[in-house]
Amino acid sequence: MSAARVRARTQPLRFELDGGALAMLEPSHAVPLVSIVVALRSGSAADPAAKSGLARIAMRMLRRGCEGLTAHEIDFRIDALGAEMAVDTSPSTVAIHAQVIARNLDAFVELLAKTLATPTFPQDELERLQRESVAEIVEGRDNDRVVAQKALQRTLFEGHPYGRNAGGTTDSIRAIGRDDVLAFHRRHVVQGNVVIGFAGDVTAERAPVLARRIIAELPRGEAARDDVPEPTLRPGRRLLVVDKPERTQTQILVATLGTSPHDEDHVPLVVANAVFGGTFTSRLMREVRSKRGWSYGASARTVIDRHRQAWVMWTFPAAEDAAPCLKLTVELMEAWVQGGVLPREVAFIQRYLIRSHAFDVDTAAKRLHQALDVELLALPADYYGGWVDAVRAVTPEAAGAAVRNRIHTGDLLAVVVGTASQVLEPLRAALPGLTEASVVPFDAE
Amino acid sequence: MATRRAWLQAANEGVPEAARLVHEGDLPFGGEVVHRWRLGNGLTVLLLLDESAPVASYHTWFKVGSRHERPGKTGLAHLFEHLMFNETENLPAGTFDRKLEENGAETNAATWVDWTYYYESLPADRIKLAVKLEAERMARLVLREPQVKSEKEVVANERRYRVDDDVEGSANELLYKTAFARHPYGWPTIGWMEDIQGFTPEDCAAFYRTYYAPNNATVVAVGDVRERDLLLAIRDAYASIPAQAIPPEDIHPEPPQLELREIEVRKPTVTEKLLLAFKGPALGDADHVPMSVLSEVLFGGRASRLYRSLVVERELATDVRGWVSTFRDPGLFECWGTARDRHTTREIQKVMDDAFARLRDEVVGEQELARAKARLELGLLQQLETIPGKAEQIGFYETVLGDPAHAFHRVEGFRRTTASDLRRVARRYLVDGARTIVRVLPDEGGAKEEAAQ
Repeated sequence: MSAARVRARTQPLRFELDGGALAMLEPSHAVPLVSIVVALRSGSAADPAAKSGLARIAMRMLRRGCEGLTAHEIDFRIDALGAEMAVDTSPSTVAIHAQVIARNLDAFVELLAKTLATPTFPQDELERLQRESVAEIVEGRDNDRVVAQKALQRTLFEGHPYGRNAGGTTDSIRAIGRDDVLAFHRRHVVQGNVVIGFAGDVTAERAPVLARRIIAELPRGEAARDDVPEPTLRPGRRLLVVDKPERTQTQILVATLGTSPHDEDHVPLVVANAVFGGTFTSRLMREVRSKRGWSYGASARTVIDRHRQAWVMWTFPAAEDAAPCLKLTVELMEAWVQGGVLPREVAFIQRYLIRSHAFDVDTAAKRLHQALDVELLALPADYYGGWVDAVRAVTPEAAGAAVRNRIHTGDLLAVVVGTASQVLEPLRAALPGLTEASVVPFDAE
Repeated sequence: MATRRAWLQAANEGVPEAARLVHEGDLPFGGEVVHRWRLGNGLTVLLLLDESAPVASYHTWFKVGSRHERPGKTGLAHLFEHLMFNETENLPAGTFDRKLEENGAETNAATWVDWTYYYESLPADRIKLAVKLEAERMARLVLREPQVKSEKEVVANERRYRVDDDVEGSANELLYKTAFARHPYGWPTIGWMEDIQGFTPEDCAAFYRTYYAPNNATVVAVGDVRERDLLLAIRDAYASIPAQAIPPEDIHPEPPQLELREIEVRKPTVTEKLLLAFKGPALGDADHVPMSVLSEVLFGGRASRLYRSLVVERELATDVRGWVSTFRDPGLFECWGTARDRHTTREIQKVMDDAFARLRDEVVGEQELARAKARLELGLLQQLETIPGKAEQIGFYETVLGDPAHAFHRVEGFRRTTASDLRRVARRYLVDGARTIVRVLPDEGGAKEEAAQ
């Protein structure tokens, strides 16, 4: 291994391939490893409503049998090459993420190409994967944070594709048939819908050759259309308690609609959010953790996707502190929306965001993922390349206005995972102007 | 540029003993080099110059962890780690984090049985800020009642999150408590709840005076930095901190476990969980490498023996995992299985037991061995992908084994490991009658219906 002097580039190398496919490369020869992403320009938002989880199931089926190889033979070969392969699904894209020891790159690419182009989708393997997926969903109920996030997503975006869980529900997974998987593969795993990324120990000469090999046997096809409508928010203040027995602690998520990367005030909102809950010394952390010791963590984040996504605030206090913590955090949110952010706060967070930018681009894999995001989430072309300048240009007034315009304290959803008999009434009392309160069991989905 | 010898001679001229820099050698670290230095007050400094990105990572590893606590005072090392982010003589509360954030740094810390470490990852041209701040809190921390009280609450909440309301966390705590009757590895690093709530500022101050000293610490700097500049900055910041007499450890080795220890516990969970552990080798023991390969044969990846058997073929489990603890003293070989649907831990255990017996009776085939080794090599390379990752590897192995490049020696060890090594360690460690088993069962009336469909 040698530490060659490679400075961060703003853009990775791009290769336009036949059939409309695109490949990108961020080379780095520091470690003999190669990361490979094979992403589709379509994700779980395209799943049929009653068959959520289809995109993920279909992509996971690729390694469950292909021409000449059984599922076990594929698994064994991946391991023996010193490789890993996993599927990641989001509303806008589903992708295979792989990593391989550089000396085995060619052999791994051969295997990858074969699994993409010639999957056999054996019925028994599909049924096995469905049972496995259902068991994973059931197991996920042990994790209160996961339970809270799922409840938030399906309630905040009820009726919208963003409300569907990318991993599916126990019912939707069981409803998927082999024909659905075949249809997904025929429609989505086509050259025009594929974006390939390499990061690591690959040269600019080899990358396009390997990318062409990966898509060589795929049908041409077109990029998937984005039919997702803009999400809307139900008015009023809602409380949803996800009831789970014997909780000594609660998970509290407070959410409303947030930002779209195409909003003119997107970067000012991100800057204002960083002041509010984006760092260890943010307002939220100071008030909730440092002053009161109520929660180990306290943060707020803006999710980005092709369309407007959620703004989410997260704390996890002890059950007896849940109500005062919810009350405090919503008051802090109101003060933030009404009062905006102070010039010194903006100046501080700008220094943080600009200087820490070095860590957004310090590895080839991170630079590749930024470029993939631009492509797959249809972000403005200079979203990452112009990030530092955009942050620098934010004024306190613009940051305050962005929060006022985008964050609605009157229309919000609070999801609390806890023991309802213990926390429901105190929580109702803690949230003034509540329009709706409901309780669902933790294993509802 | 002056030769290192000439530079060092000039740098040390006329400075007090505690401020003298000593170059202790250069160690190969893969294709790179770790430069080992020592300051007169005993502070070890390990530098790796890596220009691949304009960033640096500054780690401070202390040879203190929960093994240095005593019953009734468990969790002190971890609580103390939290307190290190508070007030110092020259930095009012909150300033430490603000200064770092303002300079684009990420900072955090971790504590475990053998060590505590703190890190800052920051733009390379800001590394001297990390040097200054770390030296400040190594010597001039202020411990007052309000901060200790508030931080105890934070840690109590962390414990609820990681242990009390977490099925796996609580099962793991029970496993170590049951497996270790004498050695401090038996109590949790986060501490028992009643101990956390009982700490006073005096407890914290005594701990600080005892263990936070330059001669009990290693500083690791990795990144796009200039060695000589950085060494002089480290000397300026740390030389005035006196060495302390670190008390000799008062730890009793764990007596050999000669019997099966088995515990059942009920939790609000949907499925049964099995946590089964054999006593394992210390990280520095020559057997640790073959045991790690053995664990990979059984649990590493979808094609491993137990994943394939329990998750893929028989569908008795949702997940299985194995881990050979990387502790300074002998730890455990942990085997974890999450039962699927209405299957039981006993069914999972039966399959695991057959796999253990097969390892004791037969040799592993060459292809299977090669598969396990390839995965272990991949794992190591992944840990070295980032500058903070390299710093962590260097600091960890230096602190636990005194060898910052030990990760690479392990890879060489993996390559040399043979099928007969695996059978030998299987026979030595996988002793069915001398292990600890924790079974987590769902609460009566738990939500089993869904799982059974």
